[in-house]
Amino acid sequence: MTGKYTLLLILSLLISSLLFSQESHHEDSHGEKEEFKIGDMIMHHVLDSHDWHITDIPKGNGEYTPVALHLPWIFYSSRDGVVFSSTHGLEEKGYVAHHDKLYALKEGAHVDHTHSEGHSEVHLDDHWIEENTDHAVSIWDFSLTKTSLQMIIIGILLVLTFGAVAKGYSRNDGQAPKGIQSFFEPIIMFIRDDVAKPFLGDNTYRFLPYLLTLFFFIWFSNLLGLTPFNSNIAGNISVTAALALLSMIMINWNGSKDYWKHIFLAPGLPKFLLPLMVIVEFIGVLTKPFALAIRLFANISAGHFMVLSMVGMLFIMGKGGESVVGATAISPISIGFTAGIFLLEMIVAVIQAFIFTLLTAAFLGMAMESHDHHEAHH
Amino acid sequence: METLGLMGAGIGAGIVTIGAGMGIGRLAAAAVESIARQPEAANDIRGNMILTAAFIEGVALIGQIVCLLIVLNAN
Repeated sequence: MTGKYTLLLILSLLISSLLFSQESHHEDSHGEKEEFKIGDMIMHHVLDSHDWHITDIPKGNGEYTPVALHLPWIFYSSRDGVVFSSTHGLEEKGYVAHHDKLYALKEGAHVDHTHSEGHSEVHLDDHWIEENTDHAVSIWDFSLTKTSLQMIIIGILLVLTFGAVAKGYSRNDGQAPKGIQSFFEPIIMFIRDDVAKPFLGDNTYRFLPYLLTLFFFIWFSNLLGLTPFNSNIAGNISVTAALALLSMIMINWNGSKDYWKHIFLAPGLPKFLLPLMVIVEFIGVLTKPFALAIRLFANISAGHFMVLSMVGMLFIMGKGGESVVGATAISPISIGFTAGIFLLEMIVAVIQAFIFTLLTAAFLGMAMESHDHHEAHH
Repeated sequence: METLGLMGAGIGAGIVTIGAGMGIGRLAAAAVESIARQPEAANDIRGNMILTAAFIEGVALIGQIVCLLIVLNAN
């Protein structure tokens, strides 16, 4: 059986490489076709945007009607103050969006709509933007973007889920858990007993609500990020940075006297080393949350990069729809790898949530420790 | 020069992976060995192993992000 599959794999590879060489030969005659750039495709999928793009419906004449949710623009501009606008009303108000960034139009500048039929964003080039926009106007964009909307959705989902779990506890008081409650109870118990207790000891219940929220928020967002039509918010550095900042405030706010003493006046250290060590220790305070943010961001982004590269293989081999046979030949490999990475990512989703929570608990525990035994040495 | 920069990013990503792989590999080897010697301490050892692996991973990922930034800024 295995031999058969291996043969199939090799055959499909052979056919596709054959077709590929043929196709690249064919390409020369009309070189003006827009090339498929896998890097651009990946970045477009991973980055935050003001449109919730769902799909494209082909019109039949090679054009597509995008199905997308245009999120409102809310921004402060030094020219007009606070502005609320829909995507289509932007131009009336004298602004134009280019690559998801907002620019203020100069007096009398008009946006060319000839090539933009059916597209939410008109195609402008950087040169046009340079010439026709007023750079003296500074804009602070506070819009509800795709990522922030997704965060709100996850928040609502968390409230609904854990509202149901909490209701289960009041209804089945003293009885065995039922329904959704019995699914989440072991997970909550695991966070309490294996993540919070070893580091926090007596303070476990004080910090358990924060740790559980952190764990389930990250886990839910990672899992939702893997489902179609959703945005992966943990793959956005701002989101992970905000989470890490919360943890950093939590850690330093609850730091014991000894924690600060070890930073600014480490005991048993020669006096001349003190200035150097204060700097080193202070950098340590900042690196902990920085590493938390980078770890979550990089792990989740890497997974999405891998999935999108595997899917992108279809378009590279299929020449963006030109070579159906090429795409068909590569599809077993592409789909197989994508499925594999998806399974791996589901594990990574829970591991990263666990590690973020574990490290927050560990840092909290370290910061709250008081070392009485250190005083006895000198 | 730009291609050299891209090449540097690729080589850098490889070196980072070697470092992280060696670090986590040695860590896991030591942890598994200690669990085999003292199975009753398995839970403590596993917890510490994951914690330390996360630290190594953190450094490696910062390196990877630097490589990614080189590639993204090249074009």
